[in-house]
Amino acid sequence: MAATSAPTNIEKEQIFGMAEKEMEYRVDLFNRLTATCFDKCIEKRYKESELNMGENGCIDRCVSKYWQVTNLVGQLLGSNRPPV
Amino acid sequence: MAASDGEPQAATKEAEKPKIEPLRLPTPEEIRGQDIWNNCAVRSVVSGIMGGGLGLFMGLFLGALDNPLMQEEMTAKQQFIYTAKQMGRRSFSSAKTFAVMGLIFSAAECVVEKARAKHDTTNTVVAGCVTGGAISAKGGPKAACAGCAGFAAFSVLIEKFLDRHD
Repeated sequence: MAATSAPTNIEKEQIFGMAEKEMEYRVDLFNRLTATCFDKCIEKRYKESELNMGENGCIDRCVSKYWQVTNLVGQLLGSNRPPV
Repeated sequence: MAASDGEPQAATKEAEKPKIEPLRLPTPEEIRGQDIWNNCAVRSVVSGIMGGGLGLFMGLFLGALDNPLMQEEMTAKQQFIYTAKQMGRRSFSSAKTFAVMGLIFSAAECVVEKARAKHDTTNTVVAGCVTGGAISAKGGPKAACAGCAGFAAFSVLIEKFLDRHD
């Protein structure tokens, strides 16, 4: 009872470490996603400050595809333990 | 020592802190508000209304210009009323034409841009061709082709002119 309700210090450190790694992974994913879709979709010469419709659609498609690919690759890496 | 060093450091840090603002992602309400302008129907209707307004003014102007001088049997007041009616008729028909033109052009450009997901002059060319072809479709296929090419060239010129002003 006491052991399960109050996690030990080592377990706490493990949880913090995992949370930190997860946070870093998420932040890295967000940065790469933003950089990729920005490079792909938005022209280098800025004619106006707002996103026009074509760029909006391009960003929607880019983010959707990036997310699907990330999930798919993550699933494939997670399921197949022996290397392909 | 520590106090005299600490104060200018604290002052510069206080001056540096307000410059960096945290990243503020848009709320769903903001996104929904921006998405209203991304809707093709809303855009084409607004463009149609603006075209109608433009047509109204142009029709008034042109209708006032070409008033045939009637015979002298009409008094000045009757001539004025006749001119006003002609101006109104002319401006109404002109407003209808321009409204339809604006609606078709905006709808075509919106649909093409959404499909391509790019902002180019190709969108303007295709939209101009569709509008010109639709307007002069009554004259047969040759007139439709000529209208398409002419209106596409006209739209590209107007777009380049508007872009140069920015």
